[in-house]
Amino acid sequence: MGREVGIVGVGQTHHSRRRTDVSQAGLVREAVNRALADAKLSMDDIDTVVVATGPVLFGGVNQPEKWVVDAIGAQGKSVVRLTSGGGAGFAGALAGYYQVAGGYSERTLVVAYDKLSEGPLQYSISTLYDPFWGREFAVGIMGFSAAYWRARMDVLGHTEEAAAMCAAKNRNNAINNPYAHQKKAVTVEDVLNSKPLCWPIKLLDVPPISDGAAAIVLANDKVAHHSNSRPAWIRGIAYCCEADNAPERSLMVSEPLALASRQVYRAAGITNPRRQFDVVEIQEPYSCFELNYYESLGLCPPGQAADLVASGATQLDGDIPVNPSGGCMGANPIGAVGVIRLIEAATQVMGRNESHQIKDAKLALVQSGGGWANLRGCAVLSA
Amino acid sequence: MYYAPETTPIDLPTFHSQIKLPYTLTPGRAAGIFLVEIANGRIVGSRFKDGSVIAPAQDFSPKDGEEPEALVEAPDTGELTGFTRVDGAVIGLIRLDGCANAFTHRILGELADLKVGQRVKAEWDGAAGQSILAIKGFVVAADAPVGTVKELGELPEPLGVVNYAFALDYEHAYGPYYGRMFDEIKQNGVFMGVRGSNADEALLPPREIDDITHKRTGTWKACADTGTIRACSIINIEVYGQTRQVPYVYAEVVLDGASTKMIHVIEIDDLEHAKKNIKPGTRVRAVWTKGERQGRVSDIERFEVIDG
Amino acid sequence: MGFSQVAVLASAQTELRPAWNDAQHIDLISSVVTNVFKGTGLSLDDVDFVIDSGSDVLDGRSISNCGFLGALGAHHKEEARVEEDGLWAALYGVNKIRSGASKVGLIVAYSKPSESAIDLYWSAMVEPFYQRPVGFGQKAALGMQAQRYLAAYGITDSDLADLVARRWAAAAANGGVAMGDAPDAAAVLGAGEAAHPLTNLMLSRPVDGAVAVLLGAEDVARRSGRAPVFITGMGTSMETHAFAERSANTLDSVAAAAKMALGKAGWDKAGAADVAEISGPSAVGELLVLEGLGLADAGKGLNAAMGDGINRSGGALPADPVIATGLVRLAEAAKQLAAPVRGGATGPEKAIVHGTGGLAMQTNCVFTLEV
Repeated sequence: MGREVGIVGVGQTHHSRRRTDVSQAGLVREAVNRALADAKLSMDDIDTVVVATGPVLFGGVNQPEKWVVDAIGAQGKSVVRLTSGGGAGFAGALAGYYQVAGGYSERTLVVAYDKLSEGPLQYSISTLYDPFWGREFAVGIMGFSAAYWRARMDVLGHTEEAAAMCAAKNRNNAINNPYAHQKKAVTVEDVLNSKPLCWPIKLLDVPPISDGAAAIVLANDKVAHHSNSRPAWIRGIAYCCEADNAPERSLMVSEPLALASRQVYRAAGITNPRRQFDVVEIQEPYSCFELNYYESLGLCPPGQAADLVASGATQLDGDIPVNPSGGCMGANPIGAVGVIRLIEAATQVMGRNESHQIKDAKLALVQSGGGWANLRGCAVLSA
Repeated sequence: MYYAPETTPIDLPTFHSQIKLPYTLTPGRAAGIFLVEIANGRIVGSRFKDGSVIAPAQDFSPKDGEEPEALVEAPDTGELTGFTRVDGAVIGLIRLDGCANAFTHRILGELADLKVGQRVKAEWDGAAGQSILAIKGFVVAADAPVGTVKELGELPEPLGVVNYAFALDYEHAYGPYYGRMFDEIKQNGVFMGVRGSNADEALLPPREIDDITHKRTGTWKACADTGTIRACSIINIEVYGQTRQVPYVYAEVVLDGASTKMIHVIEIDDLEHAKKNIKPGTRVRAVWTKGERQGRVSDIERFEVIDG
Repeated sequence: MGFSQVAVLASAQTELRPAWNDAQHIDLISSVVTNVFKGTGLSLDDVDFVIDSGSDVLDGRSISNCGFLGALGAHHKEEARVEEDGLWAALYGVNKIRSGASKVGLIVAYSKPSESAIDLYWSAMVEPFYQRPVGFGQKAALGMQAQRYLAAYGITDSDLADLVARRWAAAAANGGVAMGDAPDAAAVLGAGEAAHPLTNLMLSRPVDGAVAVLLGAEDVARRSGRAPVFITGMGTSMETHAFAERSANTLDSVAAAAKMALGKAGWDKAGAADVAEISGPSAVGELLVLEGLGLADAGKGLNAAMGDGINRSGGALPADPVIATGLVRLAEAAKQLAAPVRGGATGPEKAIVHGTGGLAMQTNCVFTLEV
């Protein structure tokens, strides 16, 4: 079998609506410097580098790792870029995980970023659609996401309020996150009364548009202790997909996420996720996705996500806090988000989370995803 | 060894598509100051701890990522270290006097006159503004005096944003399946799909291999221009590149006879009315665009709700 | 710590054509995914994961893998997109199997440069403030690389033309590449200037095509119908973005990648390989790769390039399915090692494979294969 892999250093930028003081490459540098310092390492100690970003149309630079390599001082190293839409950061971490687990490297730096202020975001995302078949009607994936939320509302009897509860919870949690830039207290009513953008998605169901980068250092069990006496070990990680235009695709649950969680839970020995996990970090590109994930990850039975959020169990003081960091609602530099969620979960199990440390957190669940809601993954971290 | 699909190369029309995007790019501190100063006729470089200077200025050493100690002014004279000609235009590598690096720029001159080590100097274009093209290019200047790197003095605020745009044009192949589907739309006003590998309902758009089973799809099947909404939302946000006036309904419609979605729009007058009356399960029909059909999805102007 | 050995079980390719006007991306992809299993005793059900290489910019579609998942055979499997040459996708797949997490992986790379403006694919890769506005792109970078190399070593353009003609002849003999009559050296010299001193035929010819490679753990490989070809070493290295800052007339990243790969394989030199499949975006690029690998001294790449074991498939010059080329090289090298030989004869037992990406080969990847 392969090596054990731990997260031994983390770093993220102070995310912002728009950074006009650094280039895309300079932004990446900031996160990398912080992660290396956190791991008590320099770039010389790093064997391989994985870069991850959202679609290249976001920033107007094709294969941007070939530019970024200079800013992070990784010239000469093994550098490769992964991309997977919103799940890019997570997909990058997964590739890095296997570089270490498979013995290709002892220490791998994974850095993910997007500088979304630089391009027309929704139009870039709309180019996800088949140019022959529907692209002209796309509004990013907001129209699509809202459509399937509506379908869930109709079938399951969930109300707009359930998603608004997720949005309000995450927005209020983000206030204490030093790296978030959207920090305003909101009530469920504020969310419900905000402007419909793609109804049922309303303004406050939508995360901000952000510039940001995030980096982690992965190390094998042989060298991890040089950086950190208490690494966050990756006990299971998977990222599955489903074909986008499939006949049976209902999106009542996310099938790829359900498949990924099944694999990961088996690897990590999770039989009762609601009871076993101390904290959960998920990537909610719109508030409504959080409800879907509760069910797909098995935090509640199918169809009962609205009850779960209404019960308060996923609040900071609940038995299964979800997104103490505020999730995407505090900052959403899309390609970086998968790594940000890993960082927030890793620091929880390391006992040094800067937003809201969950007391005695030992086992954390991380979810991320991208594409047309058809690329979905999760990971289990433990101290 | 398998070479497939087995077809003979033929010339077929293609589907033109363009992706055109405006950007507001941030150059960062060094390049931002460079772009401000180049409009003033000054070339800004970066000086590193070991005293070496590179120009144009960079925030990070291209050798090892080190950050510079100071920004300095580089002279506009130097030597040519490499060159080529592409599409009649000469591009060269120029090392400015006092600098450790070379960079790419245009060479204004004939290839035959060039040799490595040749002295060159910048030809300025006062009208180009805050752009690397404020230097129009470099010209051969055999007796240009050797310039020196100077301190820059007080630094201006870096340029925060550079406007940039690009357009990417595509000629997409239709292939056998999209080819027939759009031909049928154009000629007969009919949506033809192919049956799934183990189903009577048709996949739209059609394809050779079933996405789920990865087995060969079945025979062609005509679908109706009526159908049922699988999922829909009400678009009320205006974004770059949008083709319809808001508000409208974004609808994923499963046409009768098909199993997969077609994405289209339904026009609405009123948000509240649409919330109640247009939802998953609602029956809709296609409203065809007036005039000659083009063989595109836009041959359908929109869908409308079938009353009662 | 015992890592699984990983083998190339099988490969499939479409014909490489200047333009597949009568097929979409999904048609090319699904055909290689269907065909790669033939003769292996395996099916798509046995595949644990799919890793693919393609480019959103070439495809004209963001997250283009997302639209091609069905064709890739990835539905309900783990899938990853490496936006780099397919040899890096294979590198990922090997790591995944070596870790013990998976047994069988499908690696797919595809390209349809005929659908887009290939020069823009390259020029969009350079940073947008200094290099892009002056018109710097792949052709200019390759032209300058060639100008310096020819000047440094006294190589002539007719030397390059001989090399190019040899590669086209090899591709014609190997099959699988759509072409008319293979150009002779005179035709190469007369092909019109692409980037002085290179003519159009001295640059690799962009073609459409897809390739699939099936990777498996050792136990699967031993049970599969064919002689396993083991991947025994891998390495990759990326150089600085600043073309002028890279060492002149040598590709340090090829040397670094080769050092990694050879070290893992336990070879003392690349010359241990009987055959080499390399990806040169230009005739000079090929020579620089051979020198970087250590198959020739500096400036002496030409002799090695004209040798018998180098690019028997023809390499990238006659057929460069941009971003799939390195994976085609892996497939071709594995076929050469797996090909049955007549009794008493000996076939090649070791191969070295090279893939590249970026302007003027900014990044390079090297694999060693053994039977």
